[in-house]
Amino acid sequence: MKRTHVWSYLAVSLVVMGLIAAQCAAPAQPAVTEPPAAEEKAPETTEAAAPSEATEEEVGTPNVFIYAHTTGFPDLDPAKSYSNDSVIVSNCYEALTFYNPPGSDEVLSPGLATSWESNDDATEWVFNLREGVTFHDGEPFNAEAVKYSVEKTKELGVGAAYIWDSVEEIEVIDDYSVKFKLSYPTPLDLASSSGYAAWIYSPKAYEEHDSDWFNAGNCAGTGPYSIENYERGSRVVMTRNEDYWGGWSEDQFDKAVFEIVEDPVVRQQMIEAGTADFTYEVPPDNLPALDARDDVVVYTNPSYQNLLGLLNSQKPPLDNPLVREALSYTFPYEQFIAGVMGERATQAYGPVPAGMWGHSKDLFQYSYDLEKAKELLAEAGYPDGGFDLLYTYATGDLDEQQAGELWKAELAKLGINLEVQGMSWEAQWDLAKSDPQNAQDIFVMYWWPDYISPYTFLYSMFHSEDDILFNLGYYSNPEYDELIDTANEVSGSDREKAAEMFIEAQEMLVDDAASLFFYDVANTHLARSDIKGFADNPAYPHVVFIYQLSQE
Amino acid sequence: MQKLDYVVRRLAMAVLVLISVSIITFFVARVIPSDPAAAWVGVHPTPEQIAKARELLGLDRPLYEQYLRYMGDVLQGDLGTSVRTHQSITTDLRTFLPATLELVLAAMLIAVVIGLPLGVLSGAKKGSLLDHSTRLVSVAGVSMPTFWLGLIFQLIFFSWLGLLPLGGRTSTEIALFHSIKQVTGFHLIDSAIAGNWIAFKDALLHLILPAVTLATFAIGLTIRMTRSTMIEVLNEKFILAARVAGISERTVLFVLTLKNAIVPTLMLLGLTFVYSLTGAIPVEVIFSWPGLGTYVTDAVLSLDFPVIVSVTLVVTVFYVFINLFLDLTQAIIDPRISLE
Repeated sequence: MKRTHVWSYLAVSLVVMGLIAAQCAAPAQPAVTEPPAAEEKAPETTEAAAPSEATEEEVGTPNVFIYAHTTGFPDLDPAKSYSNDSVIVSNCYEALTFYNPPGSDEVLSPGLATSWESNDDATEWVFNLREGVTFHDGEPFNAEAVKYSVEKTKELGVGAAYIWDSVEEIEVIDDYSVKFKLSYPTPLDLASSSGYAAWIYSPKAYEEHDSDWFNAGNCAGTGPYSIENYERGSRVVMTRNEDYWGGWSEDQFDKAVFEIVEDPVVRQQMIEAGTADFTYEVPPDNLPALDARDDVVVYTNPSYQNLLGLLNSQKPPLDNPLVREALSYTFPYEQFIAGVMGERATQAYGPVPAGMWGHSKDLFQYSYDLEKAKELLAEAGYPDGGFDLLYTYATGDLDEQQAGELWKAELAKLGINLEVQGMSWEAQWDLAKSDPQNAQDIFVMYWWPDYISPYTFLYSMFHSEDDILFNLGYYSNPEYDELIDTANEVSGSDREKAAEMFIEAQEMLVDDAASLFFYDVANTHLARSDIKGFADNPAYPHVVFIYQLSQE
Repeated sequence: MQKLDYVVRRLAMAVLVLISVSIITFFVARVIPSDPAAAWVGVHPTPEQIAKARELLGLDRPLYEQYLRYMGDVLQGDLGTSVRTHQSITTDLRTFLPATLELVLAAMLIAVVIGLPLGVLSGAKKGSLLDHSTRLVSVAGVSMPTFWLGLIFQLIFFSWLGLLPLGGRTSTEIALFHSIKQVTGFHLIDSAIAGNWIAFKDALLHLILPAVTLATFAIGLTIRMTRSTMIEVLNEKFILAARVAGISERTVLFVLTLKNAIVPTLMLLGLTFVYSLTGAIPVEVIFSWPGLGTYVTDAVLSLDFPVIVSVTLVVTVFYVFINLFLDLTQAIIDPRISLE
């Protein structure tokens, strides 16, 4: 009996050791990068797996682009899509105009509209439409379709439908020109380029079907691709729209597959193995190693999203501009970005993200300077601090949390107690919308544009509001309000002048220290090096326009 | 007759349970500070949009009226609409529930096929090498976190050996060239019905790792439970009598003893099954398995209360009926158990 025990324990120990060894080997083992199965799984290299053998004979080898995407696609209805679904929708549908990537000569390019013009005060817009375009369902694209789509999207009122708020009447001039009459001036050319709510869809299809039909994997747009097969929660297979008005050349992709892969490590394995051609959000620590590879290209670019800490300008002590200014000197910007964010962020210049029109690098940028903060606090009557501040952030956002904790340590040095409180977004928002006197002192949140104009940042978060919506620092400055409203009106006709005015308005915000401008978020995308033609366009976050791509 | 009475009584109870669960989840979900109308509209809503959505979703009505309307719809098979995706929850579940059921059923099958015989032998040969190694397996099975095990399996079977796929329900090629026509939502069944054997094989290969990962816990549990009840039953006098009577050891173990020992194991497996419907989340995430777990996680994170309420209701239905089924089976297997 005793002998058996000894043997048993020996066996036990062996197994345990084996398991431990397996675990230890895991991170060190570079084999992950070269999985033998990988080759078999890429549809391009159709050798090993039985299914592929059969397919090669049947269909030949189509040119397939595979995108390992981080999440599912909540709503593929073109009138309602307002989330990650834009990755699919942007390849199915087109809008009247297209917002060019940073660095382009022009801000906009023609989309379904070939040209457009407005009257002097930007209250009437005429769009001339592209001829000879058909929807996926065979219906013709024309002015009626534009009128229908915009009116329908506006009527449903979901997502970014408010981009059409100023549209009072849409007049069909003839088949290929359409006039928008607005109730107040709006840069409608910019609104039309939005990645949400600006899509033009087939009126016939939209009348005949409901949201569930679109979400079952049907497209009724004019885009270069349509959905061939949608497995909810797994993948979307898109295929060429042979009748696409732009025409096709041989090296473009026949099909695109969007694989939903939630695990960052798995996405990394896929891009390394070549089972995916494109992905984003892999573990940040692994980026340098990926960057060093010949077969993967890492694209890191600024996005149009930024993180702000709106300061409660109605409640003591932050109602005193000196205290707000002092606070702006206490956040360790450089240390936080270098230590926590790495390449994922750059320090912000004011509320309009880098790369967008209306952004200025000449704006004053607060730096970490506790001495200066101390002086300002003394001047404001708080030489030894001695007050509490409540910092609220969305629970689960580690970056916001870490920023708060780091800041807390700095403020403690000045005798200020920062309470860092995670809340659900809803609860945080409800608190902020209640009485400002009882609300948080610092509201931390991200902002990003629906269509690309500084106005969305400057209006939503800083324009005076009677009922609080997103001006969650309760900033109120009539001079500022007038300036940005005018700039917005001008932006339809004279974008340069508008940009100057927007920059002037941002100077006011920076002078008043209306908010902490933490950082602009940078996006990192990874592509296989044989994928050509990818241009990261922050106006359409994480969207890949498959039509622009080719494979070497 | 007694059995029928029992079933009727239990079903009546089940209805009561379902009503209570629906009331609790519905009202609790609405006490949580969240605005479904804002969720319906999206991230940067305008007040007009919210007001419009509130009216559309009937959120301006009194809460009890909303509840009655919801239950009325449920009775007609309409589980409501997700405020995040604007889609019918019934349609959503038709996609996500079969995926999870396929995975969980496969895992339970594996647990029974592996766990039960090991438990029986381990109990029968208490103290032997086999017993000790089996107990090790069972301890490891119940204590190893599934997310870790899943990653290790991926490392071994995908990265090193290249035998099995990394995740998902099917390969990309299947979607491109041999797509499975959705009938039941179970890929294995759907592909088999269509005679699409390439897809069947592919779906089976994709099922192995997540199912085994999910099964590990259940295997461990099955072994432990079967072993201890086996030991208990083997000490009973009727077993001694059977052995004396010269009945073969195999019959003694797998028929006489097991029949008496299996009931607790079955109960446990039943509960594990229901738990796994939503408890398989880590496995679903690691293996990109588009199931209920992922669906519910998304819903909870975005406070999509219609989804949370409806899924709770559906899982409760499973729970109630599996329990009823187990109680009935128990009475059939073991006549000493009375249904009273």
